[in-house]
Amino acid sequence: MPDYSCIKLSNKDDVAVVQLVDDKVMDAERIAVLGEELMTLANRDDGKRMLINMDNVRFLSSSAINKLIVLERRLADAGGDLKLSNLSPEVEEVFNITQLHSVFDIRDDEADALSAFKD
Amino acid sequence: MLMNHDATWTYDAYIASDSKIANQTVLMIIENMQRIGWGEGELFGVHMALEEAIVNAIKHGNQEDPEKKVHVVVNSTLQEFYLKVTDEGDGFDPDAVPDPTLDENLELGSGRGLMLMRHYMDHVVYNDRGNSLEVTKHRTES
Repeated sequence: MPDYSCIKLSNKDDVAVVQLVDDKVMDAERIAVLGEELMTLANRDDGKRMLINMDNVRFLSSSAINKLIVLERRLADAGGDLKLSNLSPEVEEVFNITQLHSVFDIRDDEADALSAFKD
Repeated sequence: MLMNHDATWTYDAYIASDSKIANQTVLMIIENMQRIGWGEGELFGVHMALEEAIVNAIKHGNQEDPEKKVHVVVNSTLQEFYLKVTDEGDGFDPDAVPDPTLDENLELGSGRGLMLMRHYMDHVVYNDRGNSLEVTKHRTES
């Protein structure tokens, strides 16, 4: 299993559950690494069903959001599925402002998201 | 927490086109805004404006050229946040930025920062050349 520096990975119900290490996702170099690590995971057989639990994320920049958009697109193209959960109200508002709530499947919490993978 | 309504904090510096220095600068400005009494709720939008303005100046304006600087000016009171960010690039036309909400532009990675700044700030104005941005936000939290 590769070493990751920007994500923490676990597997629940055959879903790759990702938590972001940084609470403020704003450093350009870290965001580049984050994007690479997410794509590495997405290219694995056990990374096609992915949940990003954003519980500890207090801030994320538009560059970070762009990495998530690219990830969502690549997973969709590969027949995978990406869901997001546990967004703080401030972070969720960022998705609403940028009209990305319709691009991403955003769930209230991890249990809700995991159960939605079974639908 | 200092809640002096006359509290003012100013900052005026030329920073290198370096993402680490940009991050440190953004966090330092946020800390000082907190110090003069701004609350977390409104600082999220201020943080977003600082981040997007300075990162855009480094990345798109100065093309990450280490020889070029970004001029950052902040003048903040408890009532108002003012930010001016100027880069050494050729400038751009903010009205020509692709609409980031259109499906074909989703992955482009441009326009979304400007959209967020316009949402969180009361005024967002570029100079004619398009290499200098001024934003202001009036504090609404009591």
